[in-house]
Amino acid sequence: MNPGLKLLLVMAIALEISFTQSLIVNIILVVVSFGYILIQRVSLKALLGLIFWPLFPAIGLFVSQWLYGSAGIHFAWILFTRIYAYVFLGATFTLTSSITDLALTLEQDFRLPSKFAYGVLAAFNLMPKINEEVKIIKTSALMRGEALHFWSPKLYFKAILSSIQWSQNLAEAMTSHGFVEDQERTHYRVIKITGLDWFWFIGLFACVQGLLFFIRY
Amino acid sequence: MDNKTQADTNRNHQSKWTLRNIILIALIAIFTGIIFWGAGFLYTALTVALTPIGGAPFANDLLMGLWCMAGPLTGFVVRTFGSAFVGEFLGAAVEVFLGGQWGAGAFISGIVQGIGSELGFTFTGYKRYDWVSLNASIFTTVVVTFAWDMIKNGYNKFGIPLLIALFITRYISTFIFGGVLTKMIVKLLDRSNAFSL
Repeated sequence: MNPGLKLLLVMAIALEISFTQSLIVNIILVVVSFGYILIQRVSLKALLGLIFWPLFPAIGLFVSQWLYGSAGIHFAWILFTRIYAYVFLGATFTLTSSITDLALTLEQDFRLPSKFAYGVLAAFNLMPKINEEVKIIKTSALMRGEALHFWSPKLYFKAILSSIQWSQNLAEAMTSHGFVEDQERTHYRVIKITGLDWFWFIGLFACVQGLLFFIRY
Repeated sequence: MDNKTQADTNRNHQSKWTLRNIILIALIAIFTGIIFWGAGFLYTALTVALTPIGGAPFANDLLMGLWCMAGPLTGFVVRTFGSAFVGEFLGAAVEVFLGGQWGAGAFISGIVQGIGSELGFTFTGYKRYDWVSLNASIFTTVVVTFAWDMIKNGYNKFGIPLLIALFITRYISTFIFGGVLTKMIVKLLDRSNAFSL
């Protein structure tokens, strides 16, 4: 499915289950998303992580709602399953779509200005380097006997200085490769939204509406 | 903050949506996203500690300020309409792609938090970038995100005393991270003339 439409669908459903209260629909969403992820053959480690880490906020919400909430245990279960529905819905997108495809389709099919699509893509592609940079900033501070934590202004200060420098370099590099802001572009890789994409999008969305309409428990 | 020099830099500093600024916002969002990612264990630890007494929502509210930092930061560095929103949203998107605990919920939270951060700057007309606009941004962030948690995390089913306690916790957290810490960072940037780079 087209990554842009998929993201839209996932967000629309996530938004909808935030406002509706149906335990069974939440469970159906979890099961269907889980099945979809299984078909896509993701690693076991990623799968276990998906199940394990949300357990903490899910149990936390459940217990507090159970102890202090006025709506009883049924609502507590709704919140519990809602967390998992978010996570697995999100995973159907993140585990199967690439950021590059998303940027391309957002630019070509969703009319996002190319400077946003390629600018953000360029920054996201630096993610491993940014990870390194955070380590470098922390280590070099340690060499001067200074420990930087997430509450240290200096850590962010240095991160922003790096960002300023890198953004300048990246923008210049893109310009020198022929990128012109606000200019019509031709595309080497064309991504189109096909009829099948629309079929899945509308079909799945309609299914969720139907489920939410008929299953109120 | 030294108000006089602050006012001077403010006057000379109005940003535009250029390619360079878009990359800058995205980079700052990713940096903050990765720094919080390192603090992710804190949330889990707090949640585990508070769950037995049913206080897990407090873990959420205690750390809210941290999650809402990218907005004010990018709003201050790139001073134009929408920069706080884009920064905050991308910050949340980073968490999703790193494989966070919130999945698709983080995208929506990012939008909600982004609107919260942005509104503060909107109310001050993108003209002033000082303690006042920062506080406006903090206020709108707290109100908007709290309203969202009323729905999403079922806060609306809690009693009034618990709600007030959660609201105050969230306000303090946002004030410390989104306000005081952001102000200190902006001051460092100001002193190094980074805004005119």
